[in-house]
Amino acid sequence: MGKINDILSPFTAWKHVVNKPVTIKDPVSRIAADRYRGFHKNNLEKCIGCGTCESICQNAAIDMVPVEGIETKHGDSGLRPRIDYGRCCWCALCVDICTTNSLSMSNEYIWIDEDPEVFRFVPGAEKKSWDTRQAGWQKPSDNYELYDPQRVKMGELSPEIRHDSFVEIVQGFSKEQAIAEADRCVECGICTATCPAHMGIPEYIKAIRNDNLDQGLKILYETNPLPEICGRICTHKCETVCSVGHHGEPLSIRWLKRYIADQNPADKYKEILNQGNIDDKGKKIAIIGAGPSGLSAAYYLSLMGYSCTIFEKLPQAGGMMRYGIPEYRLPYDQLDKDINYILSLGVDIKYNATVGKDITLEQLHNDYDAVYTGTGLHSGRSTRIHGTEHKNVYQAVDLLRDVSLGKEIPVAEKIVVIGGGNVAMDITRTIARLQKQKYGKVQVIATSLESEEEMPADREEIVEAREEMAIIEPGWGPVEIIIENDKITGLKVNKCLSVFDEERRFNPKFDKENQKIFPADMVIESIGQGADLSYITESFKENLEMDQRGRIIVDKHFQTSLKWFFAGGDIIQGPDVITSIANGHKAAIGIDKFINRNS
Amino acid sequence: MSKKLFTYNHDRSLFPEKGQDGKPNIDLSSHKFMKIWHGPQHPGITGNMSLELTLQGDEVMDCETHVGYLHRGFEKLMERRKYIQCFPIVCRVAVPEPDFNEYCFASAMEELAGIQIPENAVWLRNLVLEMSRLQSYLMWIGGQAGSLGQGIIGQWSLYCRDLVLDRFEELTGGRIYHMYIIPGGVRGNLPDGFLKRMEETLQIIESFMKDIKKVMFNNAVFKKRTVEMGVIEKDWIYKYGITGPNARATGIAKDVRKDYPYLKYPDLDFEPVTSEYSDIYNRADVRRRDLLLSIDLIRQILAKIPLKGDIRAKTPNVLHWKVPSGETYSRAECTRGEYGYYLVSDGSEYPRRVNVRGPSYTHAVALLEDMIINENIADVAGLMVSLHTYPPEIER
Amino acid sequence: MKEILEKVKRVFPLQNIKKQRENLYFVETEKIHLVSLITNLRDINGFKHLVLLTAVDRIENGVFQLTYLLNNDELKIDLGVRVFLDRENAEMESIHHLWKQAATYQRELREMFGINFSGSPRVDKAFILEGWDGMPPYRRDFDTLKYSEETYFPRPGRSTNDPAEYMKQKMYPDE
Repeated sequence: MGKINDILSPFTAWKHVVNKPVTIKDPVSRIAADRYRGFHKNNLEKCIGCGTCESICQNAAIDMVPVEGIETKHGDSGLRPRIDYGRCCWCALCVDICTTNSLSMSNEYIWIDEDPEVFRFVPGAEKKSWDTRQAGWQKPSDNYELYDPQRVKMGELSPEIRHDSFVEIVQGFSKEQAIAEADRCVECGICTATCPAHMGIPEYIKAIRNDNLDQGLKILYETNPLPEICGRICTHKCETVCSVGHHGEPLSIRWLKRYIADQNPADKYKEILNQGNIDDKGKKIAIIGAGPSGLSAAYYLSLMGYSCTIFEKLPQAGGMMRYGIPEYRLPYDQLDKDINYILSLGVDIKYNATVGKDITLEQLHNDYDAVYTGTGLHSGRSTRIHGTEHKNVYQAVDLLRDVSLGKEIPVAEKIVVIGGGNVAMDITRTIARLQKQKYGKVQVIATSLESEEEMPADREEIVEAREEMAIIEPGWGPVEIIIENDKITGLKVNKCLSVFDEERRFNPKFDKENQKIFPADMVIESIGQGADLSYITESFKENLEMDQRGRIIVDKHFQTSLKWFFAGGDIIQGPDVITSIANGHKAAIGIDKFINRNS
Repeated sequence: MSKKLFTYNHDRSLFPEKGQDGKPNIDLSSHKFMKIWHGPQHPGITGNMSLELTLQGDEVMDCETHVGYLHRGFEKLMERRKYIQCFPIVCRVAVPEPDFNEYCFASAMEELAGIQIPENAVWLRNLVLEMSRLQSYLMWIGGQAGSLGQGIIGQWSLYCRDLVLDRFEELTGGRIYHMYIIPGGVRGNLPDGFLKRMEETLQIIESFMKDIKKVMFNNAVFKKRTVEMGVIEKDWIYKYGITGPNARATGIAKDVRKDYPYLKYPDLDFEPVTSEYSDIYNRADVRRRDLLLSIDLIRQILAKIPLKGDIRAKTPNVLHWKVPSGETYSRAECTRGEYGYYLVSDGSEYPRRVNVRGPSYTHAVALLEDMIINENIADVAGLMVSLHTYPPEIER
Repeated sequence: MKEILEKVKRVFPLQNIKKQRENLYFVETEKIHLVSLITNLRDINGFKHLVLLTAVDRIENGVFQLTYLLNNDELKIDLGVRVFLDRENAEMESIHHLWKQAATYQRELREMFGINFSGSPRVDKAFILEGWDGMPPYRRDFDTLKYSEETYFPRPGRSTNDPAEYMKQKMYPDE
């Protein structure tokens, strides 16, 4: 029976004769699934040319090439990925790792051409029929990350602990935290161009990842001799362009730098950096001002074998870093660590020596082979509104300097600060601490012309100031300081509608109907600082080229029209500490060239 | 009576004597023998390999397996690629069944790195592995029938396989190379409506499997050519390192899914499919029933799988993922038997050594070469396919 | 597993017993004891299944590591036996008499690493790399990139730029 069945049973296949064919009639126009990994698409506006797609591609199918119409600028290399479909294996890792989420794939998979060269193109730049298709592989959205988009949390003193003390707020990374944070770097190097000193950021982050902090310190000192300081208070422009920040939070580049410097003990620096013996060139350089640019110039000049002498007006070195920035952001011992290392290279420093008073520029010119000045911006500007001449109206920079000098500064019960920059935040938070110590409560209002979004202060400064119970009132323009019976009672302000006009020129517009009075016993102005160049006497000024706004004109080596006289730092570009450091470095190279040419 | 009509018995006394190594003494210059190459382009061969056959008349006297037509050196290439860059490579080790590579590589790496993947991803991995088993069996069944002259079965089964590939396409974004099981998790949740479409697919496959049973298995010709053919003895299992359906057909319930439970197999209800006697017919039947089991497992998985959830664990940045040094072996049951990855890490960003244990490595060389002796040349293709070998995993 | 290893340890020198997970251990032994140890494991201790045999080139120590991965089907445990050979004139005793498929593994190791297993069937016959006469390619000192650059040709017209380097050229070439 079974055998007969075995002979008949196969004939049941015939029943399919009447079935419709299961094949697809027109396979060419078949639409692939929504997630299909087909030809690439790239949103050229979103793409920043970081090249992470190129680094992850295991087939070496991606080249980074310049594309017409896309300029190289801060945060955008101007390059775009070109894909060679002779090599692409359609794994879409390039899409998944894309830092900006600009790269994706369409679900198009049919493309026939006789010319093999066409299968290599820049998606987005060369228009394709699938560019507008929605369907295709996108980076999965369900918590799918190939690197951590979130920062490692930095330990900070809580507002309750810090609000009456000047102890450093940010605690710094532990080793595990630093390595985890360094791990997030995709090593694109977009940041390097934006850093004024062009620091080797991906390289030192890599050194942290490999736990090779000696190497890290060497990389830092190649371009920046003040890493402890920059690791705390740098304006970190690099972080604003960090490719990881496009989808998530940028790397904490500043804290990573601080980590390297913190972990290396001061007494090991010389050994690690291998800077024991330097041949003396027998040339002398005078440097005016021991701020970041002066110290930076001194460091690089010393390494080249010049003997440097710094003339510093104040009793200690550091300039604005010591006398402008409060201790809770930059503790003095860390400042000293960086400065002492520079001084240990044989830099001579004369404290309390004001050029123009204790020694003249003329003398420096005669006694030294070249002079570098980085005297910075230490004179506060006034709003010049009615009432500013009152004795209880102060300049923020003066108060901050007095705090650092250890002097007692006047602290009233109710204080208004005019200004929205970092200096304004510094004085506000300093005042908040002092008020807390003196009165047990904080009553300080910082008011800025700019709206909250436009305030020039760092975001975290504003947030932390608020945490410390200071009130930030953005968007108000000061009208007058109200004085009754010779006592300040408040600051009258107008609502500010806009600060800049269409051409981005400073031209504030106010709503005069919308006024308000901030009660105050004391007013602090912090709307910017000016330079004091009185040490440049008339005889030099005649030959020194300056622009209309009174700034000295320098070339790319920070050489002025007086060939022996170099100038940099805040008086030239700024105010910004890392720019000043970069200025000092470039000026040192310029001075070296100048002296070599002359001798 | 009928037996005598169709059976030709060789005069064994004319055969060459066997030498000390068990192989016959073959003197080609005697003109009694003929050497032919079976493959690498033979339609009865799954992939690119060839058998160098020495025949006397139409009977195989000697056989040597030749591979190397598909050697890509992946194991070596991986040594100079970062771990994440190996991920698009591993699936290519076994072309028709890539997911087991992805799974074994990912799980070996996760074990060394100490990473726990999300629950949802475990289910999805399990689903993908069973779907992969299903489509691989469907491809094999066409090959097995085709090698014995039944072209229609291949047309049905490849249609069914295409339906599974459609499901793969919508879940993973690829039809053949899915690149879905990424170290740390998987690359996507189930798309909307997937369950419904998968169920439709399974029903179509089931209905075709009924037809295939009638046309292929209840078929006098098929039985004639496969029963008592290519027998694997029970005591060969360890001698030749036989795993998978080839071993299970002898009655030994060797199944990695049951013996070394991984993923969600402990939560699924199934018994390894076995048979009493491992000839071609029974091996084919074990595979057919294993295929049906796979359909059942997919249904069980789809009934329990969470439809949303995390798909990937937090891992270090893949661009410089250093895996702690150590070595491990990770295995899974694929359609051909035990699939495994031996991974050695020296603590750097690059794997130190990856070795793939493909079951075909033992089945297609040592076992096949010995089994095929004294078989008729017409049965070589059927016998070979009945071992279910995939050459790419032999040479990698 | 522990008991088995304790038992075997009384007869054979085992070093570096390492537990990778509950059912996977690795041990090291001397080259001369390897075959008898493996025979013992197979015949007395139930490790009847040879899962794989492969080599790792520990070039930094000048040795090849051979890993014999054995499986005990009843206890569901795996044991990797590691043995080190000198890289120079690497030679090892064959185990093809224990498992048939070992001959294939040994043929591949001969070809890919240049480890000789004398007596193993067809060990000198090309397995995968027919016509290859260069260095055994799975050795660490075989440079695949160099080989491919010498053997194949790059597609003309391909060039790439490093973003950081390119930005330097465009934005601050003099610094």
